[in-house]
Amino acid sequence: MAKKQEAKAASKGFNWKSLTKAELAVISIGALAFILGVWGLYTRLFVGEREVGYGSYVVWGLWVSMYLFLAGVATGSYMIAVLEYLFNVPMFKGTGKAALWAGLVTMPAALASIGMDLGHMERIINVYLRPNFMSLLAQMVWGYTLFLLVVIVTLWFAFKRPSDTFFKVVLWIGFFMSIFLSGGVGALLGVNASRPYWSVGLLSVQFPIFAFASGVSLMLIVVGWFMHFKDEEQRYHLFRWLGWVAIALSLAKIYILWAYLSQAWYSQVPDVMVPFNEIIFGEYWWSFWIIQIAIGTVIPLVLHMIPKLAHNKFWAGAIGVMVLIGFAAARANIVFPAMSVEMLDGLPNAFFGPHLNIRYFPSSLEWSVTLGVIGAAILAFVLGAEFLAVFNKPKTEVK
Amino acid sequence: MAQEPKDVLVRMHEDLQRALEKAPEDRRWVMVIDLRKCVGCHACTIACVAENKLPPGVVYRPVLEQERGTYPNVSRAFVPRPCMQCENPPCTPVCPVTATYKNAEGIVVVDYEQCIGCRACLVACPYGARTSDFGYTYTEDLPVLEGAIVGRETSDDYEVAANYEYGKAWSRENHGSPIGNARKCHFCLHRIHAGELPACVSTCIGRATLYGDANDPDSVVADLINLPNVVRLKEELGTEPRVYYLV
Repeated sequence: MAKKQEAKAASKGFNWKSLTKAELAVISIGALAFILGVWGLYTRLFVGEREVGYGSYVVWGLWVSMYLFLAGVATGSYMIAVLEYLFNVPMFKGTGKAALWAGLVTMPAALASIGMDLGHMERIINVYLRPNFMSLLAQMVWGYTLFLLVVIVTLWFAFKRPSDTFFKVVLWIGFFMSIFLSGGVGALLGVNASRPYWSVGLLSVQFPIFAFASGVSLMLIVVGWFMHFKDEEQRYHLFRWLGWVAIALSLAKIYILWAYLSQAWYSQVPDVMVPFNEIIFGEYWWSFWIIQIAIGTVIPLVLHMIPKLAHNKFWAGAIGVMVLIGFAAARANIVFPAMSVEMLDGLPNAFFGPHLNIRYFPSSLEWSVTLGVIGAAILAFVLGAEFLAVFNKPKTEVK
Repeated sequence: MAQEPKDVLVRMHEDLQRALEKAPEDRRWVMVIDLRKCVGCHACTIACVAENKLPPGVVYRPVLEQERGTYPNVSRAFVPRPCMQCENPPCTPVCPVTATYKNAEGIVVVDYEQCIGCRACLVACPYGARTSDFGYTYTEDLPVLEGAIVGRETSDDYEVAANYEYGKAWSRENHGSPIGNARKCHFCLHRIHAGELPACVSTCIGRATLYGDANDPDSVVADLINLPNVVRLKEELGTEPRVYYLV
């Protein structure tokens, strides 16, 4: 007699047939991005970095921005996992593994993105062998490496010994690390007193908030598109909670942005005004107004206000995607424009040569590598989640 | 009968010899650039490029051309900008591997073999005095003409051969350092230690760039750095540059 039984526990192991339409769609997008990235990854790894758009005046570009963004997603995901495992928030029950897996996937993606930016990536070992801990960069390399280990250990405990007391200790360590490391990437920029647009205390303060918001957005995608719940009420409650948190964080984000930009505007200091004008009215206006503000903030905020859409699985995930795209643009809007300032009057015109320019737009190589890294992260996340069964899919058996 | 004054180059050369007899930590190398004498010929830039075999996109000593005022009250100033060799350099603490540091003589140097190419020092420098070497050569786009006197195969020999910054041969083959590294002016340390003045100083047609040990009260530069018409760039940052401008 054929009988459909739902297993009590989710099973591990990969099965193509069990992939849902949403998973297949996201896997296709990830695969397409990765294929588009193969050329860039090959070129960067085996030819070099001559074809990049950044240089000696706009020193850091898309890859550094993506590092900041992906590191934010990783730390934010950990903060979300803490809600289930450390603070025992009932409605988050069952989401922690997915959040931890997201952190474990996005952290290496962040490190890959920053690794591509190194002139001698094979010497990264020097940061471990001869670190200068006065350097924020060295602190971040060590911090994120340790964080990666903490995420792995946390995930192990989540699977194997969720009731272990030591699990809580690891979670506390990871929780503090996620806050300090997400703030640290802001400080990485902020310590440069020669860049007045960055050198404000507010910069490192906003990054942990943005990281948590990134984690919330990622959970909207996971809960909306991938997670399975025995009781759909839990999904509904999660949508409501995540929606409210997302609204609160969006409002906080708007206020921080206002504080940051208005401070720049009212200061009228030329070195601060140049990046400000670049963002609001200049070359990057579309990135700010269309991607960061419209797609990343206003539209999600409006959609959250419409319960029918906010509690719809597809739209909840779409809101998460939009907010994440907005955050990626926000990181770019922090990094590029600040470097469009002439460090000395007349410097960009004093000597001409490749990569001696204060105008910057990412080159096709940079876009390709970024697509490759993000595509690989998407594939790893969905396929790995299927393998580890972190989406709590019910196992269907035919007897 | 009055003795004819010595050429300033001769005097600086003598200053240099005296300084080299002292312990490195007792020297205080400074550069003085007399903006009233600079004619904007860029000879120093070219001398530096030739001396250090700088590839396209790498420059240690550009000459900034700054227009001041509005017509009809307009003037043009030429401001050569080497590394400021700051007493408090913002570029060194940000290096994650201590590949850039102040050496015993107070010159900010780069250890090319240690540098990972993160460019954090480029971001931190308030003077834009560092550039990144992306591995270009000036001759790479020249046609290869068999039998031609000047074709790529002949002319690139000079570029491909090693340079001798920091007193060591640096070959550019196989993406070897300094390709991929941050690069900067080092006051031609390799020349200094050989008893020669920096290339930009020797080449300056107007004797506008002066160099020496400020700890030597008899040196040319010691006379000049305390004049009231001396300025340093971005003094408000507290970096204490060792490059002084006479205005």
